[in-house]
Amino acid sequence: MIELRDVTVRQGAFTLDGATLAVERGEYGVVLGAAGAGKTTLLEAVAGLRGVARGAVLLDGGDVTALPPEERRVGMVYQQSLLFPHLDVRRNVAYGARGRSIDDAVERTGIGALLGRDVRTLSGGESQLVALARAMASDPRVLLLDEPFAALDPPRRAAMRRMMRAWQRERGLTVLHVTHDVNEAALLADTLAVLDAGQVLQSGPAPELFARPGTGRVAELVGAENVIAGVASVESDGMIALRAGRLTVHAAAERVEGPAHAVIGADEIVLSRDAPASSARNSFPARVVAVGASGSLMRVELEVEGLPLVAVVTRGAARELGLTPGAPTHASFKATAVRIC
Amino acid sequence: MSVRRALRGGSVLAALAASALLLFLAVPTLTLVAKGGAGGVRGLFSDAELLGAIALTFLTATASTFIAALLGTPLAYWLARSAFRGRSLVQAVLDIPLLIPHPVAGIALLVILARGSPLGAALLALGIRVVGSPISIVIAMLFVSAPIYVSAAREAIADVDPRYEGVARTLGDSFRDSVHRVTLPMAWRGLLAGAVTAWARAASEFGAIVILAWQPRVASVLAYDRFTTYGLRAALPAAAALVLLAFVPLVALRALGARRGAAAVAAR
Repeated sequence: MIELRDVTVRQGAFTLDGATLAVERGEYGVVLGAAGAGKTTLLEAVAGLRGVARGAVLLDGGDVTALPPEERRVGMVYQQSLLFPHLDVRRNVAYGARGRSIDDAVERTGIGALLGRDVRTLSGGESQLVALARAMASDPRVLLLDEPFAALDPPRRAAMRRMMRAWQRERGLTVLHVTHDVNEAALLADTLAVLDAGQVLQSGPAPELFARPGTGRVAELVGAENVIAGVASVESDGMIALRAGRLTVHAAAERVEGPAHAVIGADEIVLSRDAPASSARNSFPARVVAVGASGSLMRVELEVEGLPLVAVVTRGAARELGLTPGAPTHASFKATAVRIC
Repeated sequence: MSVRRALRGGSVLAALAASALLLFLAVPTLTLVAKGGAGGVRGLFSDAELLGAIALTFLTATASTFIAALLGTPLAYWLARSAFRGRSLVQAVLDIPLLIPHPVAGIALLVILARGSPLGAALLALGIRVVGSPISIVIAMLFVSAPIYVSAAREAIADVDPRYEGVARTLGDSFRDSVHRVTLPMAWRGLLAGAVTAWARAASEFGAIVILAWQPRVASVLAYDRFTTYGLRAALPAAAALVLLAFVPLVALRALGARRGAAAVAAR
């Protein structure tokens, strides 16, 4: 288990401020944040490579805040691999093994054919596999991954993710992985923490956090396409109305009043030629601003009452509705699809 | 078109200027070797005094380089890795020997090492005579060459990303082990280059040594002594032998640079 309790790290002008999060034993924890949010600092605090000014770092329930890195039994993999260039692949992997077998780590990462190679001749993907094998061969109780797949091409990244997740589940390993990639976080995380400007804004089970971001900023950071800032009030029927300029969004949400954000999934917005006769409480005339491919679907950027909204539709629907830039359309979504935070 | 012509004219001027400087640097030493080289090489086999001076120079320069590396590497590490108040002051103190005239450095050392000084008297009481002994030669050489080593070592260590040490520590190394197993091996070419340069600087020192130890004579003092006592012709073989010996570290440094370049190419 990895636990941070109110951890503050000062690093020049930057401060990781009172970070609190927990990743249960055997879970895959992900910290999601933009560049400069403090993700690496947080990992290095767990590893003991950064001094903690306040708070506590616990591993498997024991306070390791005062322990040096070599006594914490953590494995660390950086985005840049950081393989020791004066050692070949085999000696890199065996560096922290201290007599233990490296066979499992070598086999799992599939680097058997690379063992005699000079690390300076490896490709980026090969280097990351070797770095991962080196960390795992040291038999860590937790594994810390600093954007380990960020420099890889998409197919190799996907393969590495699958391999990492399978290995983690099989070994019951506790992992803390930091990334700026929302998709990566969604694919990997059991537990998710959102870090922004040195502060953990929200943490918890990943599905919960994706479904119910606590603030508009968290919603943005977890990749919500439609985050509308406005002022919420309770209507006579108990529904919430969020007013943002000329737009009023109706939500079946908990009672919230005052400044708030409405979060609507892009896949919750239905587009039609005319105003539909349906149960949807939110229905607005809209104008198509841009249309682009998003995998097998089409991503449609709209302007609704002067505000931007994004909807996702199938290619067939886009064609049938004539969704081209400048075309008029109608956007609808149910009040139950709106999350107020 | 006129820009291209101007650039071509500029290139010709730059080439002329570079050639003039290269000639200025090469001609005196090449002339010296041409005039005294044969005698110098003969002297290496027949002139016992010259041979003794060169051996003394070699040994004392090696000793001073060894001490510089032993004491200078931790200092270089500290300067490369730590940001602390007063860092530029420490750096300035390190640069002093490079900035002051070397006879002045010799005088400064004499002030603290002469038998009348507290340190000199204490050492003499222990039976250690510093001034006029090989010890003073090593001290003079160390004073002028250690800053060169520390500066080169600091840069070599700073070039090694400190995260490598961090990774080594998560793999079970203590701080000391991570430096010995990762940082120093990764910085070794730079450290060696610094040591070779410091050795060359020590071996060629004259000003500080001559103040502290006229006897026993290192090669530079011998060449000067022969020049002042017997004239230019007598000094030529010793001087030429010194020039020839100076090529040893020069060639070593170039070989090191070539290997580094080859390794970089192989790594691409």
